[in-house]
Amino acid sequence: MATAGLTARKVRTLLIMLGPILGVSAIVAAIGINESSKGHLKAKLQELGTDLIVVNASAGLGFGQDPVIEAAAVARVGRLPDVAAVTGTRQLSDIVTVPFAGAEDYYRAFPVPVIATGTDLPHTLDVPLVSGRFLNDFDEASGARVAVIGRDLADEYGYLAGEARTIELNGLEYGVVGVLDWVLLEPSMDSAVFLTFTAAVNDWNLDDPDPSRLYVRAPEHTALVAKEIPTVVSLGGPDGANASVPTDLLDAQSQVDESLNNLTKMMGGLALIVGGVGIANVMSISVIQRSSEIGIRRALGHSRGTIAVQFLFEALVVGVFGGILGALVGAGVVWGVASQRGYTMVLSVAGLVGWALVSVGVAVVAGLYPSSKAARLEPLETLRLG
Amino acid sequence: MTDSTSLEEATEDNGVLALEGVSRVYGTEVLVRALDDVSLEIRAGEFLSIVGPSGSGKSTMLGLLGVLDLPTEGAIRVRGTDVTRLADAERSRLRGEAIGFVFQQFHLIPHLTALGNVETALLYRGLSPRERRSRAMYALEQVDLGARHNHRPVQLSGGEQQRVAIARAISTDPGVVLADEPTGALDSQNAEKVLQIFDDLQSPERAICIVTHDLHVADSARRKISMLDGQIVADELLGAGAGS
Ligand SMILES: Nc1ncnc2c1ncn2[C@@H]1O[C@H](COP(=O)(O)OP(=O)(O)OP(=O)(O)O)[C@@H](O)[C@H]1O
Ligand SMILES: [Mg+2]
Repeated sequence: MATAGLTARKVRTLLIMLGPILGVSAIVAAIGINESSKGHLKAKLQELGTDLIVVNASAGLGFGQDPVIEAAAVARVGRLPDVAAVTGTRQLSDIVTVPFAGAEDYYRAFPVPVIATGTDLPHTLDVPLVSGRFLNDFDEASGARVAVIGRDLADEYGYLAGEARTIELNGLEYGVVGVLDWVLLEPSMDSAVFLTFTAAVNDWNLDDPDPSRLYVRAPEHTALVAKEIPTVVSLGGPDGANASVPTDLLDAQSQVDESLNNLTKMMGGLALIVGGVGIANVMSISVIQRSSEIGIRRALGHSRGTIAVQFLFEALVVGVFGGILGALVGAGVVWGVASQRGYTMVLSVAGLVGWALVSVGVAVVAGLYPSSKAARLEPLETLRLG
Repeated sequence: MTDSTSLEEATEDNGVLALEGVSRVYGTEVLVRALDDVSLEIRAGEFLSIVGPSGSGKSTMLGLLGVLDLPTEGAIRVRGTDVTRLADAERSRLRGEAIGFVFQQFHLIPHLTALGNVETALLYRGLSPRERRSRAMYALEQVDLGARHNHRPVQLSGGEQQRVAIARAISTDPGVVLADEPTGALDSQNAEKVLQIFDDLQSPERAICIVTHDLHVADSARRKISMLDGQIVADELLGAGAGS
């Protein structure tokens, strides 16, 4: 019975701590996730290399046909001084791929890109093979029905490394000679089937072995090379091309993340302010409820200052614990997100302490009004009512 | 804040508490003159009672004597110092040192134990926690409640709560204890016990001042102040009380 008042006060204290906890944890989490994903992006950019250029053929004045880049244009790109490697690819359409004959019903649901490619694709993309080998010049020259598949497709079809397997492309059987590792810049390749251009011309009635897309590796002056390529391809003629550096896109993506994070931070700030108003509110009510206690203590010789300091101290405690708990919750969220997305967690201790201190500041400012109200209470009046 | 001349005055006579031409007017639109030009001096070791009909200004006067309120006019002297001119911190300190209060409604802090309630009066005086505790225990023993120090107010009877309040009032060893109808909420048996305690507490160093409706209580005092309409109408020394 006697402790009922105290427990009620404990619950109330916890409730008013929610504001600072939510505010601080939201801000800490927003900053932490942002920093961690930036760190992750940096590592990823490092891994991808920022020197790969992707060139897409764009429609010229020609009729009907899909836009392509002619062999002569590919050769011109390859001769540019800063270009280290060029590989052309072309995606084929209307091919249904299944692991073995008769499995159409089950596997039709998984669209598998079929890509005709030059034989030096692993070299240009700087991606190794998980097993086997890539398509080679003999395959290219002979037009043999051999294919390399992406790593995810190999998993999907249950292929084991070193196993001699075939794959059915619209009923034509191709021998699988290798599995390409994940291509971070082109995730669609992870579930693709790669063929030589010769096979594509022979089996899939491609008019000519011209690519629609080029992958260009230019270790030096990447941006400059990317800028030159469209001109080099078209040479003033009708055939055009767009060149882009995909890692630039990733950078742009991080800018989008930034604005989302700013929104979260703003909402965290709002939660802190609302939390502060909540503290002021609840403490004002508490001052009224405890006015007789305040009157008693004034009668016992406690000064206005002492009373004010006591209430400020309570606000301080709420701010300190709210701040610490909020920082911990925020750090926990960052840890959770980072480990779920496979980031390395980036979290600055100074930031945690700083935001916890902001919560303390907000709580103390919020406590100013109620504590001055408590200090101004007239002892005799509160005792008459009590 | 304290001017030294008034502090020096303090030692000159044995008046512990005094009102000089004090008036107290309540309200802003409808003015109530609850106290009208009252002067009164309480000297060390006195046992006085204040009587009068309801609304005559007894509580108002006691509040002013205890510096819980400030007068509209006049001066309040605690050990000679005019406290109306002091800043709050200094006035509060003097109140805590010189005066102990007992109220009709006990006014204990409900979530604290008896000991905690008494210790509240000893806070902010530069005492160590051990010293505070032992002084609070000593005060509780004086009102015969040492064994109940761990009990909260709801676990105590009305009479016992009032005794805790008395222990709290005397724990600081004040020069004067002011009590506003301390037996008003008690049955006659408990009232008797509380009065007995007051009687025991009175000493040459400690004055006791009780506001009461009870004529029996009033007559057990040695000096009786009668009030009417905010003024003191009689100030008598009682032979019977002085004898004991
Ligand atoms: N805060 C206040 N505001 C306005 N008037 C007040 C206030 N406090 C007391 N009064 C008035 O002052 C007068 C004296 O009140 P006081 O409480 O001192 O009387 P009392 O002698 O203690 O009465 P009782 O015996 O009923 O306790 C009364 O008329 C009362 O209504
Ligand atoms: Mg009264």
